[in-house]
Amino acid sequence: MTIQFYWHVPTRGDGRLADAAVKLRGERNDEQPYFTAGVTDPRGRKFNYYDHLHQIGKAAELAGFDGLLVPNDPEGEESWIVAGYLTRNTRRVKVLATFDSARGSAVYAAKNAVSYQRFSNGRFAWQIATSANVAERRANGDFIEDADIPQRTEEFVTVARHVITETGYSFKGRFFEVLEGGFKGPLSGQAVPQVFLTGQTEADLAVSAKLADVHVFEALPLADLQPYLERLQELSAKAGRPVQAALRIDLLVRETAAEAVHDAARQARQQGQTALPDKAGLWALQTPGAGAARATLVGDADQVTAALEEYASAGITVFQLGAVPALEEAYRIGEQVLPALRARLGLSQQQAA
Amino acid sequence: MAIDIFWRIPTHGEPSSLRNKLHHRGDWSQQEGDHIVHRGLAGGGGDGFNSLDYIAEVARAAEISGFHGGLIPSFPMTDEPWAISSFLARETSTFRFMIAFQPGFLNPVTAARMTASLQRASNGRGLFNIITGGGGPAQLWWGDVAPHDDRYARTTEFLDVLRSLWKGGSYSHQGKFYQLENAALPEQLLGQDFPEIYFSGSSDAALVSASQHADFYLSWLEPFDQLKEKFDKVKEKTDKLGRKVKCAVRVDIVARATEEEAWREVRRGFENLSDADKDRYARFAQQTGDSVGANRQRSNAPKNLDNYQDFILHPNVWSGFSLLRGGQTNGIVGSYEQVAERLDDLVRLGADSFILASTPHLEEAYRVGEEVLPLVQGHSARNSVLRAVG
Repeated sequence: MTIQFYWHVPTRGDGRLADAAVKLRGERNDEQPYFTAGVTDPRGRKFNYYDHLHQIGKAAELAGFDGLLVPNDPEGEESWIVAGYLTRNTRRVKVLATFDSARGSAVYAAKNAVSYQRFSNGRFAWQIATSANVAERRANGDFIEDADIPQRTEEFVTVARHVITETGYSFKGRFFEVLEGGFKGPLSGQAVPQVFLTGQTEADLAVSAKLADVHVFEALPLADLQPYLERLQELSAKAGRPVQAALRIDLLVRETAAEAVHDAARQARQQGQTALPDKAGLWALQTPGAGAARATLVGDADQVTAALEEYASAGITVFQLGAVPALEEAYRIGEQVLPALRARLGLSQQQAA
Repeated sequence: MAIDIFWRIPTHGEPSSLRNKLHHRGDWSQQEGDHIVHRGLAGGGGDGFNSLDYIAEVARAAEISGFHGGLIPSFPMTDEPWAISSFLARETSTFRFMIAFQPGFLNPVTAARMTASLQRASNGRGLFNIITGGGGPAQLWWGDVAPHDDRYARTTEFLDVLRSLWKGGSYSHQGKFYQLENAALPEQLLGQDFPEIYFSGSSDAALVSASQHADFYLSWLEPFDQLKEKFDKVKEKTDKLGRKVKCAVRVDIVARATEEEAWREVRRGFENLSDADKDRYARFAQQTGDSVGANRQRSNAPKNLDNYQDFILHPNVWSGFSLLRGGQTNGIVGSYEQVAERLDDLVRLGADSFILASTPHLEEAYRVGEEVLPLVQGHSARNSVLRAVG
């Protein structure tokens, strides 16, 4: 069994430990001096948030994660630019860029993806997710109806896959068209980026059974997740192709359960929640920013490791983990959770790229 | 006003000199019209290096040698400039990424976010070479459906949207090609420099679009009188619309310590051509296509292909470059002084910027940066006598 661990890279800013406030670490503006007049500032405006993103990418790699998850946050940095930036500056991790199927020509996306694959020796992957929010879509110049989204995703992936793997490919669908397409010469022979798709509806699962390599589920208590996992398995068996199940979940790990609960409660109160759990477990606590998981596992390292092991036993083979701050917590999780979890699951400690 | 000089990134790989057509830098070679993978230097093998590592060397050479940056072209068989720019943002310092792309391939909101993010990642070093030309089935290869004349209108509308989003605040738009409702760039992406726009295209539709959005009107090297006519027309037209567009020339050069050595380089390359190479060139010279610029280049082709000197259009201007490597036909050949003088001639004709290239791009970036660029006077030589215009 292979289990992959991805680390969430927050593109709109990072925070302090269990603090709801988000800031662009490393950025300063001219209007407000960062230090008092009594302290010299050697760096001026030499750095910005990309330096922190770079640190996060390095941290995740050093801490033993298998990949980086770059979200498509409409309030954050653009995911492909961040993905390219991080890919060049890491050696081993997969880089999973999230985007929507309204970004333009599927051929152009595929062609860019081929360059990402060539430049990274095949470390690039796609998570395609179109917003369920109509206003958000229209602000993105996308006037598609809800019901049409699965078909557009399907056409996008179909066109992309074919132009990467063959030549002389023609297709005329409702959303995409290509004539005699396909990449030749050095651009040929590249691996199609692994395709991650999302959503919990029947239609979402059906598209994944047909096209996805990995289907990503939102964080739910295991009992609630189980029926979805079973349904995905049924559909994938019927389609005759394997689809891996991924779980997007955030973590709040502290040395003791009491500390974890204390910190989780503070963040929840800052976000306006009043009815708070009083013990470790899965909290309806969201880290700030788009791409955050729907829920957070709160506890000490043993508790969180045990909870993740249960998900793995139920069939999750890809974990998309996140925590605030992304840099510091990448080390904590990498040091205190991943080795223990891999040991329990009988996995080798270092995955091949 | 001083002129800007850019270099070019050989995304198609390249041979070690113009004398030889076998590409072995980057990871591909071209043989008999089809492209085959040739694992040479940086062949994408198990050592973890790939063709981007050579491209990175060229970009570093260009910035070290004093170029503003480089044009990163986009062809069906080569790597994409958006990818190259985001990958190399961190390991370059002053190199500006001139991204060639066709607006029709991207959602304008996505493009605005990509552009602003690249500016943040690179400290404002992104700029565009907006391409609209071509057309027909080739466009559908890219998955793009708009017909030729409409495509300039789309380019204009795309850039309108980009500029509007750039200003900040909420923006709605109901156009022929794009529709947006309360679109906005996120706060953290605002306040970046809008990318300078180098604009290509020779048709009337292109000039109308250029007059609204171009900072630089980019042309291949053409016979000097034709180029002057073109630049005058562009400047006149855009001045009328209240937007002063500057002009730029994209040109290959062969610069050596002496003129004789420079021509020897060209002659060797010419003598090494196979009959198949010449046949291919003859076929190219007979074609007609949708691109006005390419048609203008063909009109200068000599009738027979026996002597390299038949390709000399002006002192130091040779029109046989496309025989030696893919791309435009005209280029400048001469001593360091002569090449600098011809560039200054072009400045007098209206050029405010150059995109230079020479094979191999790595070594030649240093040579041109060290030997030719220091001799270029730019507008400071405006009063001297115009030598090469005939």
